[in-house]
Amino acid sequence: MLAGGLIFLTVTAPQTAFSVMLTGTTNAVELALSLFAVYAIWLSVLEIMDKAGISKAVNKLLAPLWKRIFKGESDKALEYISLNFSANLLGMGSAATPMGIKAMEHMSKGREKASDNMILFLVFNATSIQLIPATVVGMRAAEGSANAADIILPSLLATVISTAVGVTLAKLCGKISGKMRKKLPLSRR
Amino acid sequence: MSAYIIPLFILVVLVTGFCRRVPIYGSFVTGVKGSLQLLLSIMPYFTVILIAVQLFTASGLGAKTEQLLKPVFTALGIPPQLTQLVVIRPLSGNGSIAVLQTLMDEYGADSYIVRCGSVIVGASETTFYVATIYFSTVKEKKLRYAVPVCLIASLAGAVAACALCRII
Repeated sequence: MLAGGLIFLTVTAPQTAFSVMLTGTTNAVELALSLFAVYAIWLSVLEIMDKAGISKAVNKLLAPLWKRIFKGESDKALEYISLNFSANLLGMGSAATPMGIKAMEHMSKGREKASDNMILFLVFNATSIQLIPATVVGMRAAEGSANAADIILPSLLATVISTAVGVTLAKLCGKISGKMRKKLPLSRR
Repeated sequence: MSAYIIPLFILVVLVTGFCRRVPIYGSFVTGVKGSLQLLLSIMPYFTVILIAVQLFTASGLGAKTEQLLKPVFTALGIPPQLTQLVVIRPLSGNGSIAVLQTLMDEYGADSYIVRCGSVIVGASETTFYVATIYFSTVKEKKLRYAVPVCLIASLAGAVAACALCRII
């Protein structure tokens, strides 16, 4: 994408190429500042939750569910997965991200390739599992919609569908690649 | 209602922490430190992604991709006015909000197009960004089938969104 865009731009408007790249970097700096602010608060809250034992309590409630989906992960990883999903469901997307990164760190075993569980976790997060899309509802209300909240139900259904498709595909791909890996040593015999 | 969720939640955590004698000030210092470290480790990745996205859209490559995908999307039941939104959604959060805003100005907040678009934005995520951030602090950099699966799932969500908005 980087090279493709640059080639295209060099052909069509070479004088703008550098400023376009600068705009991208400037966007990144702005994003970094706002992310720092958001993560600083949520990581602090998370720290208190950990020390006060709230994280463990949330995990106890949800762990039986995740243990089935994310087989073989450590308790600590499952704890962060629980927190990530709770934050997502409540529409606190900004809180979900640092918890998700921590969950990934605990799932990581330092290999080169992502494990099936890590990909599955990404799929859950990339297909969005929030209950109320607050930003969009707010935008529609500001534009004078008669019923700004009437998109909540279809959004919820669409999210469920996309997550279901994603999880099914991920499980399928995981199985196929698992089978291929098992077949390899056999064929070498 | 939803405006109360975050402050109430933080308040409950603070009060519980206070009752269980958790050092609140110290926890905040640790949290902010952690945030700086986290930022340092993820920033290089999303900077590259944002440069790439900027090049992709500004160069006209994005528009070309839209033209290529338009017939495919139309066949799947996604109105042609929404092609740009569906293409930009996995790349940029701010970008897709901006596109949705222009659609609202053009068609009105209660039109079928805008309702569809709202559901598409509300029911999906910035896939590329999520993928880079979530994998930025771990050693695993080969994502195998992760991104294609996420993109197909998001597209399925968009198709479902357009179908659902016709009935609901």
